[in-house]
Amino acid sequence: MLLLAPTVLALAALTVYPGVWVLWLSLQHRIPIFDVSRFAGLDNYAFLAGDPRFLNAGRATAIFTVASVALEVVLGLTAALAIHAQRGGRRLALSFLLLAWAMPAVVTAKLFEWLYHPTAGLINVALGARSLNWLGDPGLALPAVVLADVWRTMPFVAILCYARLLAIPAELYEAAQVDGAGRLATLTRITLPMLGRILLVAVLFRTLDALRAFDIMFVLTGGGPAGMTETLTVYAYRALFQTLQLGFGSALSVVVFLLVMAVAWAYLKLLRAGTTVAA
Amino acid sequence: MRASAGRVSRPLRSLLVVWLLALGGCAGGQPESEVVTLVFKYARILGRADPLPALLRSFEAAHPGVRVKGEALPWTSDDQHQFYVINLEGRSPGFDVMMLDCIWVPEFARAGWLTDLTTHLRPDELAPHFPSAVAAATYGGRVWALPWIMNVGLLYYRADLLAKHGLRPPETYEELVDQVRRIRLAERDPALDGYLWQGKQYEGLVVNVLEALWANGARLLAEDGSVFPEPARAADALRFLRGLIETGVSPAWTTAADEELSRRAFGDGHAIFLRNWPYAMELFETADSAVRGKVAVVSLPGRARGERGVGSTGGAHLGVSRRSRHPELAVALARHLASEPAQRAIALGAALSPTRQALYHDPELVRANPEMPRLHAFALAGRPRPVTPYYLLISSTVQPEFSAALVGVKPPERAIADARARLSYFLGAIR
Repeated sequence: MLLLAPTVLALAALTVYPGVWVLWLSLQHRIPIFDVSRFAGLDNYAFLAGDPRFLNAGRATAIFTVASVALEVVLGLTAALAIHAQRGGRRLALSFLLLAWAMPAVVTAKLFEWLYHPTAGLINVALGARSLNWLGDPGLALPAVVLADVWRTMPFVAILCYARLLAIPAELYEAAQVDGAGRLATLTRITLPMLGRILLVAVLFRTLDALRAFDIMFVLTGGGPAGMTETLTVYAYRALFQTLQLGFGSALSVVVFLLVMAVAWAYLKLLRAGTTVAA
Repeated sequence: MRASAGRVSRPLRSLLVVWLLALGGCAGGQPESEVVTLVFKYARILGRADPLPALLRSFEAAHPGVRVKGEALPWTSDDQHQFYVINLEGRSPGFDVMMLDCIWVPEFARAGWLTDLTTHLRPDELAPHFPSAVAAATYGGRVWALPWIMNVGLLYYRADLLAKHGLRPPETYEELVDQVRRIRLAERDPALDGYLWQGKQYEGLVVNVLEALWANGARLLAEDGSVFPEPARAADALRFLRGLIETGVSPAWTTAADEELSRRAFGDGHAIFLRNWPYAMELFETADSAVRGKVAVVSLPGRARGERGVGSTGGAHLGVSRRSRHPELAVALARHLASEPAQRAIALGAALSPTRQALYHDPELVRANPEMPRLHAFALAGRPRPVTPYYLLISSTVQPEFSAALVGVKPPERAIADARARLSYFLGAIR
């Protein structure tokens, strides 16, 4: 018990104290630079409940998270299986994957800004006469941002899966071969079930990251056009750091925090259920 | 003690000595080395040559015992603002003189972060500057910053194309639209766009929409603090901008365009008209420019049955931190940097426009840029964005609404009404 004390204290100082402080701030009208500081009760939350920009940011966050995580898992898994099946060049393929993963999000965003350039961008040059208004079209901007995020983070899923694939004992496959299982049966009966838990972990990490994604849309679109790519974190940033509405911004942050906690809790429950079944 | 000290290896010991010396240096205060250090925060200036280091050295030469450190700000305006806010609110006086975007001055003054310069200045000291630049530096009847760099929205046009088709530069947007149609019809070049401007959801969009509002007799903020006092005219201006995109006068990607995106497309020879700041002028005349010698500027158009066209002003000011430990010297540095010789050096070295009006007729500057006298007239007619401490709050609230109207997901009337409703909640919390 005593040995735990430093950890508990450090956690309390680093997370509980600021957490409670943000919660307290969210109940106030607080804009320090204009000397505004008064209790607001649930005003900020009431405003959020009817705030179309907030609902819009929630929608953008949900679409971004679901779409990017789904694509990352499908592509990451495919890439892992492809590399595993490959005879030579595994190391080269892995290095390429790691390169994308190692790039800071802002660099990726800048890279895609050039790819999406309306007249000189590689993508539109390739499309020729049918070039698209990637970052300026309200229907395309969010998919464009998702694509950039998938490119950057798919390798994370791929490398996790690949590591697990290497750990599947060869005897399992040999036994399957002896039993006359085809390729498809091997994949669905052995490979995928063995990957199940690591996939769940990858999805957990990626979902939590995607819910809090910020840099990629901030650099690419600044939340536009028409707020279509403005996620909850971008909205919170604008309120907290750009216009210094600490009270209102804190209320937004509390909502993001609760959302992330709820999702994390749901996943952990799933993970635990998985463990008991396996045991 | 001695034994353990003796065991410390030689390199480590010399490191220790350096460290102790550094500690001593930090403690400072020795009378014989009384060097005052001023820190100047500024955004790195693009151009042929950054004139700032030389200007800082000349200040040091005139003030023995003073050292000036120029420190770079983050790259984007948003990041610069955040840097200042965190450091000034956090009470860490890490700098003395700061380069400020003119839209921040009232906010920083209201927050108590700037030194009141009114008493430091001679009564007529700001008279040589543009009145709109002085207005942007003034809040509550006091002066909080020195005007430094001037900016104004201009209409660039392809003089060669207009001359070829016997057209004069447009005075109204209606004429501009007509000219775009005629030139494109005759040129039969599918890659030739009409009118480029900045429609991405960011501060530049607010500037462009404001210019459209003003041309249509509408305002964003009235003197009494009400927002969009002419909502119908404001919605009409937004509808006109949307129309430019819908009819193809402006390309679809205008909704993603910032200054550089539109400047490059025009510079590659892919457009007839461009709304941009004076900095682009020099870039169009470089040796490898596709439009060299083909570009001219004119004041922004007005509307056929509306106001005359007027460009929004912008630019940078110099403020002195309220917590500077050497306020007198810091004010002297700001004055030195905003002086006529300094502004001339900046105009020559970096092609940024001065705030001192006399320089627009300075022989040396006119030789470098023959458009200077005309630029003076445009800048003099320019109009500042609303001068209010809440400018950033207002701007970041209206940006998504303006953008929604431009991309067509919201009718202009709704966009204006929504912006008003949101602003009344946020401004209500402050007032």
